[in-house]
Amino acid sequence: MPARIGVDVGGTFTDVVLALPGGRIVVNKTTTTPQDPGEGVAAGIAAVIAEAGLAAGQVTEIVHGTTVASNTILQKAGARTGLLTTQGFRDVLEIGRIRTPGMFDMTWRKPEPLVPRRWRLEARERTAADGSVVTPLDAESVREAAAFFLAEGVEAVAICFINSYAHPAHERAAAALLRAAAPQLLVTASCEVLPEIKEYERTSTAVVNAYLLPAMRGYLSRLQQRLAAIGITAPVQVMASNGGMIGLDAARERPVFAVGSGPAGGVAGAARLGDGIGAADLIVFDMGGTTAKAAIIEGGQPSLVTEYEFRDGISTPSRFVKGAGYMLKVPAIDIAEVGSGGGSIARIDAGGLLVVGPQSAGGDPGPACYGRGNAEPTVTDANMVLGYLNPTALAGGSLRVDAALSREAIARRIAGPLKLSVEEAAHGIRQIANVNMARAIRAVTVERGKDPRDLALMAFGGGGPLHAVNVARLLGIRRVLISPVAGVFSAAGMLAAEAVHEFVHPLLMPLAQVTPALLQAARASMAQAGHAALAHEGYAKETVELRYAADLRYAGQSSQLTVPVGDFAVAALHAGFERLYGETFGYTAAGEGVELVNLRLSAIGRAEGRIDFPSLALDARALAGAVGERLVSFARGEAPVPTRLLPRAALADGPVHGPAILESYDTTIIVPPGCTARAAGSGTVVIEMEAADA
Amino acid sequence: MPEDPITFAVIKNAMDAIVDEVAYTVIRTARSEIVKDVMDYSAAICDAKGEMVAQAKTIAQHLGAIPEAMAAVQARWGGQLEPGDAVVMNDPYSGGMHLPDIFMFYPVFEGGALLAWTVVICHHTDMGGRVPGSNAADSTEIYQEGIRIPPLKLYRAGVMDDTLSAMIGLNVRVPEIVLGDLRAQYAACQVGARELGALVRRYGADGMRGHLAGLLDYAERMARAEIATWPVGTYRFTDHIDSDGLSDDPVPLSVAITVVGDGTLKVDWAGSSPQVRAAINSTLSFTKSNSFLSVRCALRGDIPNNAGVFRCIEVTAPEGCVLNPISPAPVAARALTGYRVMDTMFGALAQIVPEIIPAAGEGGNTVVCLGGRHPDNRPFIIVDMISGCWGGRPDQDGIEAITNPSQNLSNTPVEVLERQHPVRIEEYALVPDSGGPGRFRGGLGLARSYRLLAEDAVLQLRADRLRFAPYGLEGGEHGGAAANWLGEGNAREAIPGKVTMRMQRGQLLTHHQAGGGGHGSPLARDPEAVARDVWNGKVSVEAARRSYGVVIENGHLDSIETARLRGQQQGERA
Repeated sequence: MPARIGVDVGGTFTDVVLALPGGRIVVNKTTTTPQDPGEGVAAGIAAVIAEAGLAAGQVTEIVHGTTVASNTILQKAGARTGLLTTQGFRDVLEIGRIRTPGMFDMTWRKPEPLVPRRWRLEARERTAADGSVVTPLDAESVREAAAFFLAEGVEAVAICFINSYAHPAHERAAAALLRAAAPQLLVTASCEVLPEIKEYERTSTAVVNAYLLPAMRGYLSRLQQRLAAIGITAPVQVMASNGGMIGLDAARERPVFAVGSGPAGGVAGAARLGDGIGAADLIVFDMGGTTAKAAIIEGGQPSLVTEYEFRDGISTPSRFVKGAGYMLKVPAIDIAEVGSGGGSIARIDAGGLLVVGPQSAGGDPGPACYGRGNAEPTVTDANMVLGYLNPTALAGGSLRVDAALSREAIARRIAGPLKLSVEEAAHGIRQIANVNMARAIRAVTVERGKDPRDLALMAFGGGGPLHAVNVARLLGIRRVLISPVAGVFSAAGMLAAEAVHEFVHPLLMPLAQVTPALLQAARASMAQAGHAALAHEGYAKETVELRYAADLRYAGQSSQLTVPVGDFAVAALHAGFERLYGETFGYTAAGEGVELVNLRLSAIGRAEGRIDFPSLALDARALAGAVGERLVSFARGEAPVPTRLLPRAALADGPVHGPAILESYDTTIIVPPGCTARAAGSGTVVIEMEAADA
Repeated sequence: MPEDPITFAVIKNAMDAIVDEVAYTVIRTARSEIVKDVMDYSAAICDAKGEMVAQAKTIAQHLGAIPEAMAAVQARWGGQLEPGDAVVMNDPYSGGMHLPDIFMFYPVFEGGALLAWTVVICHHTDMGGRVPGSNAADSTEIYQEGIRIPPLKLYRAGVMDDTLSAMIGLNVRVPEIVLGDLRAQYAACQVGARELGALVRRYGADGMRGHLAGLLDYAERMARAEIATWPVGTYRFTDHIDSDGLSDDPVPLSVAITVVGDGTLKVDWAGSSPQVRAAINSTLSFTKSNSFLSVRCALRGDIPNNAGVFRCIEVTAPEGCVLNPISPAPVAARALTGYRVMDTMFGALAQIVPEIIPAAGEGGNTVVCLGGRHPDNRPFIIVDMISGCWGGRPDQDGIEAITNPSQNLSNTPVEVLERQHPVRIEEYALVPDSGGPGRFRGGLGLARSYRLLAEDAVLQLRADRLRFAPYGLEGGEHGGAAANWLGEGNAREAIPGKVTMRMQRGQLLTHHQAGGGGHGSPLARDPEAVARDVWNGKVSVEAARRSYGVVIENGHLDSIETARLRGQQQGERA
């Protein structure tokens, strides 16, 4: 009997979900232990096992979304890392792509490279763009570098040579020389991660990987020890940025794939949940305490990017700005994030304008209503004042709050200075947060050539169900879905993931010159690698699916599109590219040359016992809730409306017409006037709107 | 305080989102590399009067030119526009910048009355004229630079005008791409109009008019309030362009910024060089644009980027000077002059708000053009831009490897360049000791070298700051000068900043971009920071001693020797 556990370590809480066959799930929320997150993880796991009445040995698998990689970068707590480059190119990492994220800001600080210039050394070698050798690798220059790295106390080294994507022999040889000369150095060669063209992106990716090696390895070892101490020996899988899982060995070798581990679980879960209720195309909207995130799912698959920039906390959703973070050329879910969450602080700027976020009161001290010393009003306080949230207790009664403190904070900091009523100011805070969050959704829809009005919005996270309908209305979306276990959905989502290993075969040649033999050879070598990686993690060949894609572009353009490949034929690649190009950009340039940049493979292993949402049996707590009535202010300038409070279970008796509030211990669902909520299966609530604007 | 601060804040955010969406539509639908990949374009929304209310995060240099261009459009077409019309223009002498930049103005109507404009400016791949790309620095008359378009309707009620489009198509080298990009501009304008319409449905046409006006007033109010705190007086500064490339004469730019005291500024360019023969003349609209953006950099962050800020600034330049040339002076390569306008403005602004303004950066990207044929006789053209650095700042070092603040350009990856063109890049690196010494060091310049692998090629190079290196401030020293060389190692030969010449197979071209100026006395620099620079190989041991008075022995800071040497140098410098 597979008993699988999903673990999501967030900034404030560590969420653990245990799923049993037959649909029973047990959830736990515990405080994150930043010193060693594994401590909170083990505690949460012990709690769910105990509650489920299982023995530790009955746990078959743990899927882990971890922020260890991302936090290691943000806190600059990675390895003392060195870099070995081709002669003439030690500064590629620091030069980067030259752009700045803002305009007119002369105080901007460019992110410090993760490898200081001193530890960026050059090897005598050169490969040409066609893969031919211009200057053979000088082994002595590598050995000298190894000696210098050791003398300097460097722990990890990345190697990235110019044009190694075309011919990795020099990089491989240099890696072998380094490992032989200095066995204690952790070495990442760029061709061992993903060998794509563009030296800065490849260098940055290899450097981040090397930088993360000791931290990730240390964390995973300690976690295994902690789990062993409570009797758990089940394999641990790590969520990767692309929404798949990778095994422990892969995570130890290529931690760069896990930098986006944290937010991936929710998106993977949303895809699986949508699949269960016949919603294959979705906008995913995850609103937490500090940020809100948006992604889209098309045809049941999360929409991916092949490169992204990892940066500190808040990313503006605008696609024009680059340069604020660390470039990672690995497949990742296309997530836009804005600094609007329940804890986002509202303030008035120098020009008298109301601004919400990105500063957040987080979970501690938290919103003013928590009464823990924060006097600045937050989005949660606005929700308190308007009656959206229970005025005395949250989280099923476990968190005492005081709505009077919310009112006081908004009155003093916002309403007073702006000469507004407290309710008006609260509506303002909510509305500004909603507009910001709508912008994140625009970034993954409109800016990608997709009309959000064609999609349903699936909301989860602590604040998602509180804001979803209003955000949807701003975008003309008529249908909102609220996930089950919304408060811990990311952890549940981990249990929906499949094992995914990514491979790339660089080609960069005119499509017209590509021969069937070349395509078949590339396919065969990638297939072999894919099967080997999954076999290593215990997936039998019949549980493996190989999904191929091709990166194509018009000759001379630098931006490329990733096209799924069914048929390995040049004509099919061409047709697939033109179709996708037309959909994305609104025209095609028929007759212009097309280039094949890369072939890609996602090798997928079907996990046993993936969470099955249709059979999900929500526990009584998730369905129970207060019954009664409360005054809620739904619209600015209108009188508050008496609003029914219902438990989520009430949906079993038929649709609930707004205004209504469905309260349960992990989330509060708002059904505004003019909206109707229904049970949509799999524990999901669907809210349909009559009018699309507000 | 606006009447309804909530709705006001919502509309401000919505306008920012709309204008970014307009800009993104350009990328999605454009045909050319220069728009799609280099992102040399911009987008804005203006109110009915033509004042810019919101701008996308695109090329800053374009946007301050809108007022002049808009005035020309309104003078010609005021009262004669209908829904679906779009007016285009590129004529530098009707408010434009240089011919490749085509402005498109799209009026948005509500209830039969003009509500707003969406404006999209794209740098087009070619506008005809004597050289491909229509961008040559060595033209001597605008008639050599390509087709001039006065304000004309390219679209009437949603239909492209056959006559004008045929005329443009026939005069450019790549008509499909140019007309394709013009269609992209139109599509983007329509997106802006559609989204503005959605706001009007929510807030009413009159409400929206009020809010657009309110946004401009708000930015003006914030800008005025800040400028009013600046010390009253007239502040002057002169910087130079090395030469126009046709003669060796330096081209001085001189500014006098007067802080009036009521929250306004007067920026006067009297005393700058007369217009020059070569194509680095900057039209008044472009001069204004760069003057505005320089002031914008001196203002604090949260002021909206709209024309409310421009209202506080009056820019004048005498007719016939390099910053307000008389037709038919050539203007195609005016970008360089724009950079120096900013440097000159910064030099004066540094006397007004010394706590904000950095020392001079590299002074504008170097442009390397190499054209020839592949072994199989296919033609190739490389247009490579080498960016630079920012100068030292009042409270921190400059930045190395960064776009000029007036632009937001990227670079071309070495591997992509080598894959597509017969050239090998042998170095792309920081130049040690090129950062101007100062308490806060200027950014290092960049080196980039090109070995030609084709039989031969024509090299066109536009570099500057070989003679007039980026200035330092407050006792900081100037940055390293730019340099160009042909050949290897010790046998290499210096070549001029602006040059057109042939290169042969195997020859190596090396460019060093200038380093940024330093800020504050180098003797006041934290010795630990100097030691760190030495540790990192950004400053040599010799330069640490010579420029900073810092002694590094066997890799370690010698504090006692440093104190002694600094005392000695202090005396010598005083």
